[in-house]
Amino acid sequence: MIIEIGMTKDKALEELFLAQTPHFTDSDAFMASLTKRLDAVEYLKQYQERTIRRYKMAMVVAFVVGIISGAVTIALILSTPADVPLFTFQVQTGFLLWLAQNSRLFAAAALSLLMTAGIFSIISNVQEIMHMHMYLEKHRV
Amino acid sequence: MTRETFITHVEREQEALRGFLLALCCGNKDDADDLAQDALVKAYLSCAGYQDKGKFRSWLFKIAYNTFLNHQKSLKPTVCIDTVPVEALPQRGSGEGAFSDLYLALSTLPPKERSAITLFYLSGYSVKEIAQITDTSEAAVKQQLSRGRDKLRERLIIDN
Repeated sequence: MIIEIGMTKDKALEELFLAQTPHFTDSDAFMASLTKRLDAVEYLKQYQERTIRRYKMAMVVAFVVGIISGAVTIALILSTPADVPLFTFQVQTGFLLWLAQNSRLFAAAALSLLMTAGIFSIISNVQEIMHMHMYLEKHRV
Repeated sequence: MTRETFITHVEREQEALRGFLLALCCGNKDDADDLAQDALVKAYLSCAGYQDKGKFRSWLFKIAYNTFLNHQKSLKPTVCIDTVPVEALPQRGSGEGAFSDLYLALSTLPPKERSAITLFYLSGYSVKEIAQITDTSEAAVKQQLSRGRDKLRERLIIDN
């Protein structure tokens, strides 16, 4: 019964709605305001796209620098004899001597730190880019 | 869709959209225009994925309807209209921003019923189209229309 009623139009209500159809005299002002908002949206969109590009560039640079510095350090470690320290100091103090004697260990630790930092940077950039993409998708309705 | 095409389409449809939202906002023009602007910005952001099949207005109304519902959800919890004392409701003929009888009666309907009634009587959509716009079944739309119409009739008869 409800369904049947819902399908037909109530003439009186229809006429009432038709009589109440609003006419707007400020269409130009409305469109001008909308254009301003669209300009702001366009600016923000471009800013976000620029930021994403910058993050991607930073990721590529981190990757390349990581590969090159890692390769150079490994090559340096491998090209020197095992019993010769990787680096020595002109001044021979106890600490510096200890540092030079354990130069391979320190080089390996520095390399690991560099790689860790590189991986962190890449992961955070990827997350940031994904977050931005998700935000943009979400606001596309 | 380019920005120019979008603006051309919007220029053609903005009155219908604003009228629809004005009814949903029960005659509050400022709220209706704010929602219309929000909905149009959302539409602009997603217009890259819009495929023009001559249904731009329905597409805009769907976005406007969702924007309206989100806006309603974001409002502070309100008391059911039936429990509000009559003197607290907007009064007819109470100055420049006075509600018309119809808007006053519409304000007593829940948002979904109000949307269905407005789309059916003001915008002239069929039940099937309303179901597509509001993302509900046709049976649900028919029920909303039936209930909304009964309440509207009752309220309008009381008012008159």
